[in-house]
Amino acid sequence: MHSQSRPQPSGPDGVKKNMEAVAALERDAQLMLRVREGDEGSFALLLNQHRRPVVHFLFRMVQNQAVSEELAQEVFLRVYRSRASYEPTAKFTTWLFRIATHVALNHIRDGKHERGQESLEEEVIEGVGRQIPDRRPTIEHAMLADARLEEVRKAIDALPAKQRAAVVMHKYHELGYDQISKALGISESALKSVLFRAYENLRTRLAHLA
Amino acid sequence: MICINKNKQGAEILLAYGAGTLDAEQSAAWEAHAAQCGECRAVMAAQKHLWDVLDHVEAPEISADFDARLYARIAREEAQPAWKSVWRTLLGLAPAGVSWKPVAAGAAAAAVLAVGLLVHVPKAQNPSSQIRPESMDAEQVEVTIEDLEMLMPPAASAGRM
Repeated sequence: MHSQSRPQPSGPDGVKKNMEAVAALERDAQLMLRVREGDEGSFALLLNQHRRPVVHFLFRMVQNQAVSEELAQEVFLRVYRSRASYEPTAKFTTWLFRIATHVALNHIRDGKHERGQESLEEEVIEGVGRQIPDRRPTIEHAMLADARLEEVRKAIDALPAKQRAAVVMHKYHELGYDQISKALGISESALKSVLFRAYENLRTRLAHLA
Repeated sequence: MICINKNKQGAEILLAYGAGTLDAEQSAAWEAHAAQCGECRAVMAAQKHLWDVLDHVEAPEISADFDARLYARIAREEAQPAWKSVWRTLLGLAPAGVSWKPVAAGAAAAAVLAVGLLVHVPKAQNPSSQIRPESMDAEQVEVTIEDLEMLMPPAASAGRM
């Protein structure tokens, strides 16, 4: 046996190196372990890091800013609440998005979300920056851009909840198939089918925007 | 052949191509196929267009008081009476890998019993005093049952890593 051979993962050196690599990569899991030990500052760091992606994920799921923030707070409240029993058996973001997906799907299932014309009008009036960049500064083009955006939002909203969640995580949060499948509680194979169907639905529904 | 209509790999490559995550070799192979397959070419173009359209769906800025409201909620929860913490602890003792529904039902029953004991131990001499299940906060029950699922390690339900 060559002494220069690469350490086997099962050997003590290989295991140690793997653990060091995992420890270096999984900063968030380390922070959460500190939260488990009572370090409130680590919770603040995690909140700062993940506030935006969680709120944005929930916004794309429920299409309402106020509701998405309320749900996001529920997500972080659950994270904080479960600190004592936290175990880093998965990537922190996988766990976080699993909670967020659960909260979103529950909300959608319970039919509590508000969407439609009134939410769009509120956002336009408040000047929330969700409009398509307007290359020609005319009211007509702004209205057309808003109309297109509304079509896209409706198409996303029309997706079944799990397809919607899969697309949002895949498109906007760049999560891997393994993470998304764990967040949704389905196999990777099933996830790929879900994603393919979801994008196929969207392509069909939005083809006229080409 | 990686035709999207003929095998799963084609579908996966389509998704990756739209997302721009294919490496150079995969991209070249895909484009070589698309050059000969009109159907795949059309779908690829549609997926690219869809990807661009979805890029425009932005999310609004987060309220400035988001953190303050969250910490206020945490503080309110921390200030809740002890029996609610016991309730949560009981749910937290559910073993990993066990389906949460029967455990939640059992935990709910155990929690009602525990609350009954906590309230009625000093009044053990008065058998006519009963804890009415309906005095429990129904919403709290629902929330804590949901919490049980969240307390399960992801690997328990989604397979081992």
